[in-house]
Amino acid sequence: MELWGRMLWALLSGPGRRGSTRGWAFSSWQPQPPLAGLSSAIELVSHWTGVFEKRGIPEARESSEYIVAHVLGAKTFQSLRPALWTQPLTSQQLQCIRELSSRRLQRMPVQYILGEWDFQGLSLRMVPPVFIPRPETEELVEWVLEEVAQRSHAVGSPGSPLILEVGCGSGAISLSLLSQLPQERLRGSSWMREDRAAPSPLWFTDSNAYHIYLARLWPRRKGCWSRVIAVDKREAAISLTHENAQRLRLQDRIWIIHLDMTSERSWTHLPWGPMDLIVSNPPYVFHQDMEQLAPEIRSYEDPAALDGGEEGMDIITHILALAPRLLKDSGSIFLEVDPRHPELVSSWLQSRPDLYLNLVAVRRDFCGRPRFLHIRRSGP
Amino acid sequence: IILLLVPSEETDENDLILEVTAGVGGGLRHASASIGGSEAYRHMKFEGGVHRVQRVPKTEKQGRVHTSTMTVAILPQPTEINLVINPKDLRIDTKRASGAGGQHVNTTDSAVRIVHLPTGVVSECQQERSQLKNKELAMTKLRAKLYSMHLEEEINKRQNARKIQIGSKGRSEKIRTYNFPQNRVTDHRINKTLHDLETFMQGDYLLDELVQSLKEYADYESLVEIISQKV
Repeated sequence: MELWGRMLWALLSGPGRRGSTRGWAFSSWQPQPPLAGLSSAIELVSHWTGVFEKRGIPEARESSEYIVAHVLGAKTFQSLRPALWTQPLTSQQLQCIRELSSRRLQRMPVQYILGEWDFQGLSLRMVPPVFIPRPETEELVEWVLEEVAQRSHAVGSPGSPLILEVGCGSGAISLSLLSQLPQERLRGSSWMREDRAAPSPLWFTDSNAYHIYLARLWPRRKGCWSRVIAVDKREAAISLTHENAQRLRLQDRIWIIHLDMTSERSWTHLPWGPMDLIVSNPPYVFHQDMEQLAPEIRSYEDPAALDGGEEGMDIITHILALAPRLLKDSGSIFLEVDPRHPELVSSWLQSRPDLYLNLVAVRRDFCGRPRFLHIRRSGP
Repeated sequence: IILLLVPSEETDENDLILEVTAGVGGGLRHASASIGGSEAYRHMKFEGGVHRVQRVPKTEKQGRVHTSTMTVAILPQPTEINLVINPKDLRIDTKRASGAGGQHVNTTDSAVRIVHLPTGVVSECQQERSQLKNKELAMTKLRAKLYSMHLEEEINKRQNARKIQIGSKGRSEKIRTYNFPQNRVTDHRINKTLHDLETFMQGDYLLDELVQSLKEYADYESLVEIISQKV
């Protein structure tokens, strides 16, 4: 027992462990094993919750539950087989939990610690500093799906909208849309010859090159076929979206393009026709609010995915200004915004009648805050 | 024409869950099966109740007859049409972030709790990481709870005098005895006895005959109820 205790202590106080506080269990060098009795899932959750709480880590219980569940192979603690709650864990599992928990002590978001998170029921890889999808955004996707369904019902044929997502991040919005939009194919559709040679990953960094590339490679399919073009200015996001698309086998229906949409030249050669829908969760944090954000966000997520400028409107107005060039007549833009934005956007649109855009609806999130905007183009 | 007057159960066409619980003794104590199909509930609904088995076990040396029981419950699954819930009657509780929420907050608390305000029925879910999924699951649970409450109400409205009871009242009633030594099965509600137990246990025409007789009797009771209400 003593030897075991010493080995454990050596592991715990090994190199790389900073700080003098190590939680109540390791406060002194005692001959007895510091983790004696802490060997089942329930006990570990309890233990680490205490450690996190002492160090002021937010969502202490949730954090420790997710870490322990993850090491035991489950997505949530609730979904673990009850038998596993009281079974002793192996020393490898204990070590794994210790490592993950030490990252939580550094305020790393749980989603980055686990390397994955769920969105609309899809499991997506998460890698810092690519923005972690927020639960509110699930409602944005729901709204878009409702609109598409309504529209295709009115027209009398299944919807096959062409969708552009600006700022795709991990691909959450694009991929959850694709996974739920119809993808029927009529018989007799044929591929263009070049397609057979085309590899599945498709991302480009030279806007000139893809004008030619896409014209040859866009599959000619008859029938109902929803397609998404996802753009982001960060390569890390492009790469992560691609990885998630492949994991979900959606890589054939999504075009992922490395593009800074605020740069003028990005839109001079458009290899595709006008969009039916533009959807985005653009950076919308007011610049002065950036430093108030929790360490989880400030230290790990890309500030470019959050900072919307002085009134949080910079990227929003950019997207809206692109409407004449990118959006079909009576096409729609769906945005997630800060609760202060609906009014700001409304007045801004009124100051830009040249865009022919109308704010047609504002939807609230599950906390009752005005969160989502539906803007429609109606004009020449 | 008279048959057209018989009201059908609102769940007659539903799929159902069949639950079987042993009375006493060891071995397999509880099992459930999900049964679907055309008018599944309508055919199965009379099977709910206590089934009594009388037989001489192989281990019995003195040839005594042993009696054991099995309780069967038939639970209909609610469809979209069966139960309509007004979204205004619901309060959906999620972790509420202070301040602006959205991009301003990183959270992993995706638990959802739904309260049906008129009845006070609560349903929760934190099984999934996705808040939307938790909400969907909580809604499904809520619908099932509200529906079984609704069904109980409907059934309780009927006269207690009925011999063929469907629902929780019927669950503790001894409805049928299977007597192996005498090779007969008796349904106590309509006092009908069928012989050739082996054939009966195979299902098919003998079971159908019994179900048909039960149905006829149940229809008769419904009609009597309707008529006596009008008087």
